[in-house]
Amino acid sequence: MAKVLMKGNEAMALAAIKGGCDAFFGYPITPQNEIPEYLSYHMEKNDRVFVQAESEVAAINMVYGAGGAGARVLTSSSSPGIALKQEGISYLAGSEVPCVIINVMRGGPGLGGIQPAQSDYNQITRGGGNGDYRVLSFAPENLQEAVNIIKESFSLADYYRNPVMIAVDGLLGQMMEPIDLDEAPDFGPAKEKPWAADGSSGKRGSRNKIVSLHLDPYKLEEHNLNLKKKYDEMVDKEQRYETVEIDDAEIVFVAYGSMARIARSAVDTLRKEGVKVGMIRPISLWPFPQNAFEKLPKSVHTLLTLEMSLGQMHQDVRIVNNGRYKLDFYGRTGGVVPEPEEIVERVHKLLNKEDQS
Amino acid sequence: MKRLTILSGHYGAGKSEIAVNMAIDFRMDALVDLDIINPYFRSRSVHALLQEHGVNLVESSVEKSSGSDLPYISAQGSRPFYDKSLRAVYDLAGTKAGAKIMMQYRDLIDADEDLDFFVVVNVFRPDTDTPDKIVRLIETLEGGAQLKVTGLINNSNLIKETKEEHIAQGEKILQEGSKETDLPIVYTFYEESVKPTRRFSGEVRPLRRYLAKTWL
Repeated sequence: MAKVLMKGNEAMALAAIKGGCDAFFGYPITPQNEIPEYLSYHMEKNDRVFVQAESEVAAINMVYGAGGAGARVLTSSSSPGIALKQEGISYLAGSEVPCVIINVMRGGPGLGGIQPAQSDYNQITRGGGNGDYRVLSFAPENLQEAVNIIKESFSLADYYRNPVMIAVDGLLGQMMEPIDLDEAPDFGPAKEKPWAADGSSGKRGSRNKIVSLHLDPYKLEEHNLNLKKKYDEMVDKEQRYETVEIDDAEIVFVAYGSMARIARSAVDTLRKEGVKVGMIRPISLWPFPQNAFEKLPKSVHTLLTLEMSLGQMHQDVRIVNNGRYKLDFYGRTGGVVPEPEEIVERVHKLLNKEDQS
Repeated sequence: MKRLTILSGHYGAGKSEIAVNMAIDFRMDALVDLDIINPYFRSRSVHALLQEHGVNLVESSVEKSSGSDLPYISAQGSRPFYDKSLRAVYDLAGTKAGAKIMMQYRDLIDADEDLDFFVVVNVFRPDTDTPDKIVRLIETLEGGAQLKVTGLINNSNLIKETKEEHIAQGEKILQEGSKETDLPIVYTFYEESVKPTRRFSGEVRPLRRYLAKTWL
């Protein structure tokens, strides 16, 4: 298909339809409103279900119901709205119901603001819900990547029977970029879901129940251990990242999403100055792409984490680094988007410090 | 160029960028941002630049709260209708509800008003990729604004991936829309990186991207 120019939110909405999304449940919040707006019209046109729920809590529980019945389900929101959905996400993970969640992040905490931010990293990777659960989560850097991952995410959610979150900051939701909707392959329709509570009891010979309640602690422990097997498989198979100019790099940026776009620009500027910088760009936030840090060249001496938050992913960089390299962090928050020059300046400062030591 | 130019078009057509370009290049007295739908990439981000060029930006931000999307219109927006010495560009949202904002000025528009109402089209936006859809959009905007459209602007582009053939593809589709509506193509805008070698309809002008950052 030829390229079209689309706004991030509508491109992601259309990608969900292409990915086989059967139903959408959501509640409006800036800066992701074009997703429900687009779907309110196009889901019906494609014979799918669209419901504007009365709240985020209602929406995620509708997702729980429709997902439990075997449908491919999507909800979308922005940071404070995602916070409201956390209980439902824990239930979905606990009862192994697949779903896709798009989070177009804005500044926090609380209601915060409506400008772009990446301060949901802890909420996404640690989870705001209770229990030993994980959410498979991806943070694309551009709209083509977002479209490709969203198309794939429905089959990933089905395969793992787990929520999958696509996290972009508001900039990616609001910006425009050319995309090819058919660049990613068609991941195919949903396979049969013999576990689904779809009203076919009797024909199957047994009743299907969607529950997260297990009152026998030994059974609940066993259930948790089974969930852990899935999470271990995700850690094995779903670590995704890109490396940029790291072959001879001395300083390596770690940045994702819009921040990676800004960092890329800073890499270009610094390389022209002769400064050897590169970048690890996590695409999966959970599992965190620790493999990327295992293969760094000997030239590397410093990792500089860059975030539109005050250092949330930086904690994971610290864990993975395990004392190997020097660490530095630079971030802006609250909806302030840094300029590439700020990163360049940070690197100059780092280099000056080295000269003096 | 008329004293007042109203720009509309489906969102993403590039009307806000074109409005800023026109305001600066044609030394307008005011740029009135009536697009109260989009929270990001608004003309407010180039406030200082416009001021340098002597353009008064009228917009709906709240003091010390640049991140707000409070949908109000400053009363200053009506000034160019009273003060006939002022030249202004209006950036009007491209939906029926958005275009309705023009209604408040209807009684201020004289029958012989020196005014143009242009629709900006990018044929690579899925909602304006055929002559039919363009004609329907024109009707919608005229209905909302209660104002006759007087011309079309070809801004067909794929941002950084734009090639001259894309502008030509836009020209072809717009010409059909132009034939059907009897509206001329008054401007063709091209990305600065694409210097056109062939002829295009209307005045052919480069589009400087003031609102989008280079790393976007």
